[in-house]
Amino acid sequence: MKLFAKYNRINLAATIIVFLLAAIAFYFSLQYVLINQLDDSLETEQAEIEKYVAEHQKLPEVFAIKDQQIVFTATTSNNIVKKHFKSIALVDSIEKNKEFFRQLTFTIQVQNNFYTAQVSKSLEGTDDIIQSVVIITFLTILLILLVSYFINRVVLQKLWKPFYTTLHAVNNFEISKQKQITFQSNNIEEFSSLNKTLEKVINKAQQDFTSLKHFTENASHELQTPLAIIRTKLDLLIQNENLSQQQTEAIQSANNALQRLANLNKSLLLLTKIENNQYEQKININLKAIIQTKLIQLNELIQNKNIQVGVNLEEVNINMNNDLVEILLNNLLINAIKYNTQGGKIIINLTSTQLQIANTAQTSLDTTKVFTRFYKVEQSTQSNGLGLSIAKQICDTAGYPLSYSFNNNFHYFTVTF
Amino acid sequence: MKILIIEDEPELLNSICNYLGNDNFICETATNFHLAIEKISLYEYACIILDITLPGGSGLEILHELKKQQKADGVLIISAKNSLDDKLQGLKAGADDYLTKPFHLSELSARVEAIIRRKYFNGNDVITLNEISINISQKTVEINNTPIDLTKKEYELLLYFISNKNKVISKNAIAEHLWGDDMDLADSYDFIYTHIKNLRKKLLQANCTDYLKSIYGMGYKFDIH
Repeated sequence: MKLFAKYNRINLAATIIVFLLAAIAFYFSLQYVLINQLDDSLETEQAEIEKYVAEHQKLPEVFAIKDQQIVFTATTSNNIVKKHFKSIALVDSIEKNKEFFRQLTFTIQVQNNFYTAQVSKSLEGTDDIIQSVVIITFLTILLILLVSYFINRVVLQKLWKPFYTTLHAVNNFEISKQKQITFQSNNIEEFSSLNKTLEKVINKAQQDFTSLKHFTENASHELQTPLAIIRTKLDLLIQNENLSQQQTEAIQSANNALQRLANLNKSLLLLTKIENNQYEQKININLKAIIQTKLIQLNELIQNKNIQVGVNLEEVNINMNNDLVEILLNNLLINAIKYNTQGGKIIINLTSTQLQIANTAQTSLDTTKVFTRFYKVEQSTQSNGLGLSIAKQICDTAGYPLSYSFNNNFHYFTVTF
Repeated sequence: MKILIIEDEPELLNSICNYLGNDNFICETATNFHLAIEKISLYEYACIILDITLPGGSGLEILHELKKQQKADGVLIISAKNSLDDKLQGLKAGADDYLTKPFHLSELSARVEAIIRRKYFNGNDVITLNEISINISQKTVEINNTPIDLTKKEYELLLYFISNKNKVISKNAIAEHLWGDDMDLADSYDFIYTHIKNLRKKLLQANCTDYLKSIYGMGYKFDIH
């Protein structure tokens, strides 16, 4: 939920509650006042009747007046009722319909006769007033809601604009792309403080990232010369004709370990270089032709495992760096061979929308880790666990997502164009 | 033939001289930029092995200097930076080949010989070694003037062995030469064994002397002594 929607919701709820409470209070106080006023006028009526009786010693004549009734009923001294007010529904003498009245009942003595007088005044006017009060209240609430909704919408959206601009800038920021992030300046303290903080954090992260990258690159480069010395010394050492079997075995082990180290170092350098966008030059590449060439190159490996290769290649041209395409296909195809079963299958599908390389396998790889650096299914393998990370990095850089899935005893690696 | 090795790392320099400096080559060395400039100005070399990062200046400047002096020395760049830019710049500036550290000495030797062949025989040469003759441009092999039919890998192997004759070449070096470093070591050893077995069989069938010796546990040697 957006902040201003949440704010609006709270604001609206509070407004409605306050207005309803106010309307209820208003309704009751108004009713109280109006009925009091009506009671006063009923008492005035009583006073007039009593005055008339005192002057003329008889009951006044009763006229039918709109919204008012006066009824005298003879009674005895035993049945004298106490003066009291009540609200009652009566039939209006003129309009002939049932209405609510305020009625004052009192006893009046004319000479020796007692009469119960009932003076009633219609509550219609009062009801009308109360009805309009309620209507006006509701209309006001509605209006306020509407107005505040639009004000909030317009004003808040305007107020929060710098925030969304900042958010957009941060969202579009990629640390691996060495682009400086710039925030629009604004005069709202909270937002400019947010921007400043973000700028600081991002600059720091960028610096760390750059220095880490340089470190990796430098470390890898610095390792190359000592590796070269070790390798050449081993090459010289094996020229010696008087080596014992034990010594040759030791040299061979050292040579193998050195090979792994050199490969690891080379892969790390490659990853860094792809990240640094050092493979910028793009050309139009015929993927079908490259895949066919690769399959010929890898034929020995494929034959060795008795792997059946099924290809379905359409003519597809993509714009990519030539070296990276070679490395990508190499890594994916070698993986498909290396982690295949004896007598297994490789199926390569190339369409204008995707390249899919599938190979026979026993169990699924961990889909969350498959492209992670140094992820290995078996720790004992000679592979350095960087091949798929490199493939992924190449695809990311080129903007073609690489995904993995496992289905029916097949690993599927899919590059989507 | 004289070759010049320009490399600031004495141990590496030492290894290279030791391996290459046999009856074929006389090795001279330079450990910094100024020494290197001095030597290339004074002498002519069949091949210069050049490290790009040098104390006192860049190896690329040496290439420019060679061009300025209109020298035709072959140049093989050896660099710790396997960077495309360096490679392209180096080749553009007149280098003949580019090898990234860490390399096998047998690979270096094969590359140096290839450069010298290209430079001095225009690539149209025929390597002759006793009864074996290899036509580099046509990629054909004859034993006692009888052509034999080799696969691409077998041909590459033979040429590699002849460029490193009388030297023990490790299986790792052979694997890297034939397939690059994509393959698992265990797999590649089987392949090497198969290819070498086939090559030897073809050579022997053509009545070639059995020069190919297997050195237990380490690799192979093309022994012409």
